[in-house]
Amino acid sequence: MSMQAVNKLNFMVGGPAGTGVATMGLLFAKCLQRSGLEVYGTNDYPSLIKGGHNTYMVAASTEPITGIVGKFDILIALDKTTIERHLHELSEGAAVIYDSNKVKDAESLAQGKNLVFLGAPLTKMAAEAGGEIMFNTVALGASMGLLSLDFGIIENMLNKIWARKGKKVADANIAAAKAGYDFSKSALKSPFKIRVEFVKREKTMFINGNEAAVLGAIKAGCKFVAEYPMSPSSSILHLMAGHERDFGIIVKQTEDEIAAANMIAAAGFAGVRSMTATSGGGFSLMVEALGMMGIMEVPCVIFESQRCGPSTGLPTYTEQADLLFALHASQGEFPRVVIAPGDPVECYVEAFNAFNLAEKVQTPVIVLLDKFLSETSITVDDFRKIPLKVDRGKLMSDLEMEKASGFKRHAYSPDGISPRCLPGQKNGMYVCSSYEHDETGYTSEDPHVRVAMIDKRARKLSSIPQEMIAPTFFGAEESQAQLLLVCWGSTKMPALQALRLLEAEGVKIRMMHIKYASPFPAQDVLRALQSARDVAIFEGNSQAQMRSLIRQQTGFYIKKAYLRYDGRPFMPEEIAEQVKKFLQV
Amino acid sequence: MVSIADLNNTNWVQWCPGCGDFGILIALKGALVKLGIEPHQTVVVSGIGCAGKLPHYIRTYGFEGIHGRVLPAASAINMANDRLTVVGVGGDGDGYGIGMGHFIHAMRRNYDIAYIVHNNEIYGLTTGQTSPTTKKGVKTKSTPHGNIETEVNPIMLALASGATFVARGYSGDIPHLTSLIAEGIAHRGFALIDVLQPCVTWRKDLPYELYQKMVYKLEKEGHDPSSFEAAIKKAQETERWPIGVFYKTQKPIYTDDIPFIKEEPLVKHDISNVDISKFIEEFM
Ligand SMILES: Cc1ncc(C[n+]2csc(CCOP(=O)(O)OP(=O)(O)O)c2C)c(N)n1
Ligand SMILES: [Mg+2]
Repeated sequence: MSMQAVNKLNFMVGGPAGTGVATMGLLFAKCLQRSGLEVYGTNDYPSLIKGGHNTYMVAASTEPITGIVGKFDILIALDKTTIERHLHELSEGAAVIYDSNKVKDAESLAQGKNLVFLGAPLTKMAAEAGGEIMFNTVALGASMGLLSLDFGIIENMLNKIWARKGKKVADANIAAAKAGYDFSKSALKSPFKIRVEFVKREKTMFINGNEAAVLGAIKAGCKFVAEYPMSPSSSILHLMAGHERDFGIIVKQTEDEIAAANMIAAAGFAGVRSMTATSGGGFSLMVEALGMMGIMEVPCVIFESQRCGPSTGLPTYTEQADLLFALHASQGEFPRVVIAPGDPVECYVEAFNAFNLAEKVQTPVIVLLDKFLSETSITVDDFRKIPLKVDRGKLMSDLEMEKASGFKRHAYSPDGISPRCLPGQKNGMYVCSSYEHDETGYTSEDPHVRVAMIDKRARKLSSIPQEMIAPTFFGAEESQAQLLLVCWGSTKMPALQALRLLEAEGVKIRMMHIKYASPFPAQDVLRALQSARDVAIFEGNSQAQMRSLIRQQTGFYIKKAYLRYDGRPFMPEEIAEQVKKFLQV
Repeated sequence: MVSIADLNNTNWVQWCPGCGDFGILIALKGALVKLGIEPHQTVVVSGIGCAGKLPHYIRTYGFEGIHGRVLPAASAINMANDRLTVVGVGGDGDGYGIGMGHFIHAMRRNYDIAYIVHNNEIYGLTTGQTSPTTKKGVKTKSTPHGNIETEVNPIMLALASGATFVARGYSGDIPHLTSLIAEGIAHRGFALIDVLQPCVTWRKDLPYELYQKMVYKLEKEGHDPSSFEAAIKKAQETERWPIGVFYKTQKPIYTDDIPFIKEEPLVKHDISNVDISKFIEEFM
């Protein structure tokens, strides 16, 4: 290999569950991010605590990147299986880093492929640095040595991560990484085919969907979190709990999701911004309370990170199959907001918006995530640059309530939204009821009241601005595009990467990403569909649920659909191939 | 000064004439007056059932949630604004049937709330099916051949679950019930007041006369409510029906371990512009 490529590579670490695969992948990704690159990182693991086969994959480039394209250039294999399983995914001249004491005659696995085998006694080297447990830090150091990454970046990173455990632990990890780093430098006969050069730029963040949603919620002033653990939403609970004292947030692990949903409803009634997070199974248990929030007109935010259903399904794999469920869950009719952000930046912004909308519209807001989005990280600009403003809607102040008389909590109003008082405020006493009620909150079965109340609540969604719910467009101009690719939620990431691939090939594709499923931006969507030369939809379920919703809302039927429901996210190349196939027919 | 008049409203009361629920409503109002708690500082939280309608008949804030979920709602209101007085009310089906899980967890967490259970040993609103407290052998609409289940003993359950105030009242003895409820509300921690409540429509076999004959007051027979052992003993008594405080103790309440609501309740925290800079830097 004569010419070295710079700042563009794919990396994978694989091994049994419980060996720190994800942590290593994340560390590798963060070192590249801190080198100024755009980085994408995602994982794949079964629902097991020990054993099984876990991987973490990283793609890095100087260009924006939202998916893995092509083969892997570096593989850290924590066991033999990893080499066997991923051999076919390795690029020409790729490096395989493994423990030479654990995997014997690794070279014999190459099947004639041109690979760089870097077998090091990882565990032994780790022991020398201070503890066998750091074998993965040695491997990580080795991968960085291959790339000639500035060791100072690794050192900083390890110092930051291990700071809590004290200087001794940090120093031992740095020594372990250095041992690996020096090993690959000396073991290489010729320089590795890729190197990383530092790119100077403003500091970025490396963040996944769940983390970004938590930041958005905290920024929005969320004060109360009630949650029952369920993959892939649990990291929201962990992250919130870890920061409850920094931000003054009560984080409550409940006895079940029924309690969680009822708690956030009551906390919302009492005047604090409240949320829960769950997956489809837990959301199923929340459904009765969801309708209650609707008729009570209490603000609440529910994050639902979808995984493969029905029932327990594939707990750690991804799917976009709860869209219609989220839209229709509960008996009866009431307004709800359903938002499906497409990447971590949108998770941050829409989590924030969710809390504003919940209070402005006084109704539950569901934010649909999925396993893929929840656990996929990308490089993003500092969130502090995004202007966001808390808006509590028609919330009465203590002073206003002191002067109030004859206050009606559910007063009919042109926009359907009634001024809201809180318990503790004078002159506002009312019953917040799950029964149909009149303007005062008192139970009513009067047919006129019933109709007036249904209509009042339904009106509320119209006050959400069209700009907010509008779909977003990417890629070629409408007049140029050969096809309009429609997607929603997390499919945005691989689809955008596919667009980049197609653009490089001269294929002109426009993409419409739908974020708001309720209220649905019917006019914008219909206009885009009608003006497109050709349309295809890509979604992660077997029934083309968004296609149904679009047809229901606009009357437009999208004939071409590519659906994936094997639990795995779309791959950019897969989307690009399929787009080309659609163009041929 | 708070008076009964402050707590009255003009809403049409939907209970059957003679229902034991009236006695509980009067006692609750009396207790709030006795304690001098302002109506706007009180939230009465209910579930669904005849009992669950109570919040509409008292002029305070109310939260009439869904069947069985009184305690999650009540505890959340307590956490969101621990300066309020939160009283949960609900039926035996609501609390000891569908809501049983929440009941046990609420007690072990020792939230600072009072919980009044209208225990009529029947599902009233749904027209008379067996409830978790219906005794063995009793014929109801859903057990026409006689109930074959053993009933739950809420007092035993409360004692075992770590409740810090465990009492039983009788809706036919309003003065006694009033002081029990007042004591329960004033108690710092979770207070269970299980109330023997005659259902004049679906439990004609359990008339006031029978309750009148069977109940006796614990305090009159020298029961020591600080003794857990004595409480356990009394809780198992079936020959006569003891009312009064079975057990009372002091333990830290749930919110004691939440430092950031000491100065101001959660609802008063300023959320207009939360600074998340430090958190953001963790991802850099
Ligand atoms: C989830 C759900 N299941 C069933 C019902 C129907 N339901 C309403 S009240 C009730 C039981 C009422 O009994 P109890 O809680 O003892 O109250 P009571 O009417 O006796 O005061 C039932 C089963 C409901 N409202 N919600
Ligand atoms: Mg009952």
